[in-house]
Amino acid sequence: MAPSQATHTPSLEKLVKSLKGQSLEASIEALIFLLKRRQVKGDECAQATAHILRQVVAKARWQDVDQLLSQIQSAGSRLARAAPHEPVIGNIVRRVLGLIRDERQATIPIRPSPAVLTSTAGLQVSKSMFNLLSVAEPDGSPMTGGSTPLSQATQPTSVHTLRSEVMDGIEEIMDEIGQADDQIASFADIQIHPGDFVLAYQPSKTVERFLIKAASRRRFTLFIAGLEPFTNGTSDAPYATLRKKLSAAGVNTISLSSNGLMAYIPRVNKVILGAKAVYQNGGLLVDSGCCIAAQVAHEYLKPVIALSPVYKFCPEDPSYDVSRGWLGNPSTYVSYGNGPEVDAIVVENTVTDYIPPELVDVYLTNLGPQTRHHIASILADHYKTEDLAFSMQLD
Amino acid sequence: MSKQGGRGGAAAAKGKKSAKPGAGDKREDVLQAVILADSFQDRFKPFTLEKPRCLLPLVNVPIIEYTLEFLASNGVQEVFIYCGAHSEDVENYIQASPRWSPGSTISPFATLDFIRVSNANSVGDFLRDLDKRGLIAGDFILVHGDLVSNIQLDAVLAKHRARREQSSDNCMTMVLRSVGEQPHRAAKARGITPVFVVDSTTGRCLQYEETHPLQSDHYLTLDPSLLSHGEFEIRSDLVDCGIDICTPEVLALWSESFDYELPRKNFLHGVLKDWELNGKMIYAEILDDGYAARASNLQMYDCISRDVLERWTLPFVPDSNLLHGQTYRRVKGGSYMEDHVSVERGSKVAQSAVGKGTEIQAGSSISRSVIGRRCKIGKNVRIEDSYIWDDAVIGDGTSVVHSVIACSAVVGAGCRIPEGSLISYNVQIDNHIQLPPRPIPRISLLADEGKTAKTDPSLVGPTGKGASYQLPTFDEDSDDEEEGQRDPSILQSSLIYSLEALNLSTSSISTLASGAYDSEDNMSTASSLHAGEAGQTRSRVSSFTSDASSRGGFHNDAVHGLVDALRADDSEDFDSAKLEFMGLRLANNASDSAMRRAITVAFCRRAAELLDPQHGGLEPTKAAEKALTAKRNAVRFIKEVGVGGDEVTQQAEFALALQRALLGEREHQQHLELARAGTLLAAMLQQLYSLDVLEEDGILAWWGDKRASESEEMAKVKEKCRVLVEWLENADEEEDEEDEDEDEDSD
Repeated sequence: MAPSQATHTPSLEKLVKSLKGQSLEASIEALIFLLKRRQVKGDECAQATAHILRQVVAKARWQDVDQLLSQIQSAGSRLARAAPHEPVIGNIVRRVLGLIRDERQATIPIRPSPAVLTSTAGLQVSKSMFNLLSVAEPDGSPMTGGSTPLSQATQPTSVHTLRSEVMDGIEEIMDEIGQADDQIASFADIQIHPGDFVLAYQPSKTVERFLIKAASRRRFTLFIAGLEPFTNGTSDAPYATLRKKLSAAGVNTISLSSNGLMAYIPRVNKVILGAKAVYQNGGLLVDSGCCIAAQVAHEYLKPVIALSPVYKFCPEDPSYDVSRGWLGNPSTYVSYGNGPEVDAIVVENTVTDYIPPELVDVYLTNLGPQTRHHIASILADHYKTEDLAFSMQLD
Repeated sequence: MSKQGGRGGAAAAKGKKSAKPGAGDKREDVLQAVILADSFQDRFKPFTLEKPRCLLPLVNVPIIEYTLEFLASNGVQEVFIYCGAHSEDVENYIQASPRWSPGSTISPFATLDFIRVSNANSVGDFLRDLDKRGLIAGDFILVHGDLVSNIQLDAVLAKHRARREQSSDNCMTMVLRSVGEQPHRAAKARGITPVFVVDSTTGRCLQYEETHPLQSDHYLTLDPSLLSHGEFEIRSDLVDCGIDICTPEVLALWSESFDYELPRKNFLHGVLKDWELNGKMIYAEILDDGYAARASNLQMYDCISRDVLERWTLPFVPDSNLLHGQTYRRVKGGSYMEDHVSVERGSKVAQSAVGKGTEIQAGSSISRSVIGRRCKIGKNVRIEDSYIWDDAVIGDGTSVVHSVIACSAVVGAGCRIPEGSLISYNVQIDNHIQLPPRPIPRISLLADEGKTAKTDPSLVGPTGKGASYQLPTFDEDSDDEEEGQRDPSILQSSLIYSLEALNLSTSSISTLASGAYDSEDNMSTASSLHAGEAGQTRSRVSSFTSDASSRGGFHNDAVHGLVDALRADDSEDFDSAKLEFMGLRLANNASDSAMRRAITVAFCRRAAELLDPQHGGLEPTKAAEKALTAKRNAVRFIKEVGVGGDEVTQQAEFALALQRALLGEREHQQHLELARAGTLLAAMLQQLYSLDVLEEDGILAWWGDKRASESEEMAKVKEKCRVLVEWLENADEEEDEEDEDEDEDSD
């Protein structure tokens, strides 16, 4: 009996619980405002988007695939525009759209063709026949890490079957999102070697998991840099649990302040960053401050490893907003109680940095390590060209 | 243990809302909130003549949107809105809103109800009505309809619940935001400084007082019982954002006290004062982070708008686009613009927000301002620190500085809108009008009580529309002219915090514990109110009447009561006046110095009146004698209540108060010259001496007191008493050898 447990603040968890009893429109709006109020942010956005799109598939009225696509597009673009600082939302929407397109192709009876090895071999013909508007160009291989459900021998024809197929596909995406961090961590012992000196700048959840996994296999030394300047005296609290776990595994951790970065970098073997998004040019959206670390590492020719699940790869170029950085609350740096400063200074607190592609050496995804040159094929594998500009469609 | 879910549980939760009120140990899963959407104040006039305050746009979003979004972000399920003035407007707005409309499926609230109260005159009436309705099942959040906040209340709610489970007497938690000790724009703008006495360990609020810069006694009277309480803090660095977490007992308390009107000044002060009687405890939760403020006056409106533009209120910033259909994006120069804004080349927009459909022509510069939708800004316009609401038109070459221009107002070309101007809806100002900087222009088409104002062509030009809007004067006593201006609300009714023009001290209350009076009395109130020149060197203005406003009119009522009693010809008796005075004193919890002042002012007024030819034109000695001794027991009253003791310091204070009071009288009675005032003072002091009210030591202490000659006028008046003082000193030396020859009426 702990009454203090009864929190009222809306959260993703509560939203997911309430999805069943709620109309679709209410769920979408609820998430939109959770996003706008920053009550769902960061990695949660991907899961939240998938949940809501699953609801759209389940509850919206649609008779054929085109209607479903436009329903997903409209809901998706509303979500994406609610949080332009979270590009992951758009990625998930594109993934779901691609999934539906795949399903549609699968539902068209395909005459037995010589190419039986891949179920999607006969696609291009049937697609152009089915939908004249869609661009009939090769999408690369639609085989993806997990987004394409197996097409069955018996062709689903009814809406009902399509619905359950798509929902299964979305659940697979959700599983992929859930497992991505673990999959990335499984590459830890390849990337980190005994005796390494590793620098992690503001470790995200993904990076933390990666480091803990690495610590179970390897002995290395970790520098944690970029502690937030004002965290009310509890400056190392955010990473305390990480450090405890690492030291239990026998990994030595050293905290660096940002200005000590330059001094330590010659000793460092590699720099590990967690990306919020990877753009098609290979640029990264990261927490603010990471760019300095990447820059310094680049100067000293140290490899920079960006950890990013595939769902964070965006098939678009960084916008002007991204390259300038999204703004947060100035109270991180100046207390609102400090009258003279509040009056005299306009504080712009950028909470994100953009790291240009030339500063990143390795992209470690849940599908394995990649270089910049592989990004195009990863994007081609996961997204359909029709969906690339989705957020600019519709109103 | 199954936790009742968020929104989805709403419908279900509504069904099981039948929780008995007052069932303290039952956990309430449904969070209720009450919005007070009318504050019964005039501070936003003339804008609130047409629209309620909560619908005024703050960075192009009606203020109530921030309040509702704040409640939604804290998971509130049931909302009750109390509307007063313009209640239809508020209801229509909410009904038309796609997000908040009660019938809407996307509303985050399970229910949203309007409650109208006919003949409500105060917040107190609302809350007493709420108590009668029995709608409140458990803890609820009480907020005002002008709140902007991004605070998450979970922790506070949990603490409140834990306390309530300890004891049902722990009935309320106030959420306060600390703004530090240094001068702060949010603290400056609030006008009245709330002072909370808070227990350091438990956070229990022990006493509540309000101070404001216009009062002359910058000190508080602490309840003596506090001293036995243990450790406590006296905080005046808090912004009271009006978020209260209440149990239904709070409403019962309101109902018990039918005359409480204001949630803080009356209710909180009263409940804490009568703690021994009601046993209720109120806690203060002081937050050091997060943002919370009420747009409770135009300066706060200004301050919050800037905070929103600077993102202190994140996530409630323009580019979150919380309002349906908004499309703000951040652009270069730290500005926010919606789609379809046309900014011609050569114009600059910095740190501003610009709404959809607005056109800004070439050569204009806009900084730190908010421009609404569909505005037309001409060429070479300069707009700084200003708030231009929707559909306004501003002609070429006009400059607007730190002003508010309301919806659909038209300002012609080549105009100058000076600092602090308030230009209301649909006003039209002709080309080439230079509005005068003083008095601060407030131009409106409407006057009070829905009347249309007659256009004043001398102000707005021959083809203009609108007239100067006069703020309602607050004084009920027409003879007491400065009263209205001295009310702290003057600080809150204009956009700029014009303390320069008011010439005030900035000393904080913390310095005041040391000395009782450190204020100088400046009598040239009328002139200094409009003095814009920086040449004014006086550090402060304080008047006797200013105390009245802080003490709930105590001073005013007391002085009137006493003067009437002194004037009365039919009765010789003074006892009833004394009784009335003591009653007033208890009712207002007046301090000794406030009483002393009221008494000295009353007697001085009477004495000065008697000098006036209309009232007999007596000589100063005779006037003093008549004023003091005409009524039986009046002298004893002065001795016991006014002076308050035999100690030298008390007597000196009384003499000082007398001196100040006489100078104050010159404001009312023009015939009273300075020299004559001095003579009268000497006569009164001598009279009091011979009546044994003041002793020589007291008068001599006053003579030696620096404060008695702190201004030129004070010194002049004092000088007139030199004869008396010298005589007293001689008498002192000769040790009563000779009898006072002027002792005419000793009894």
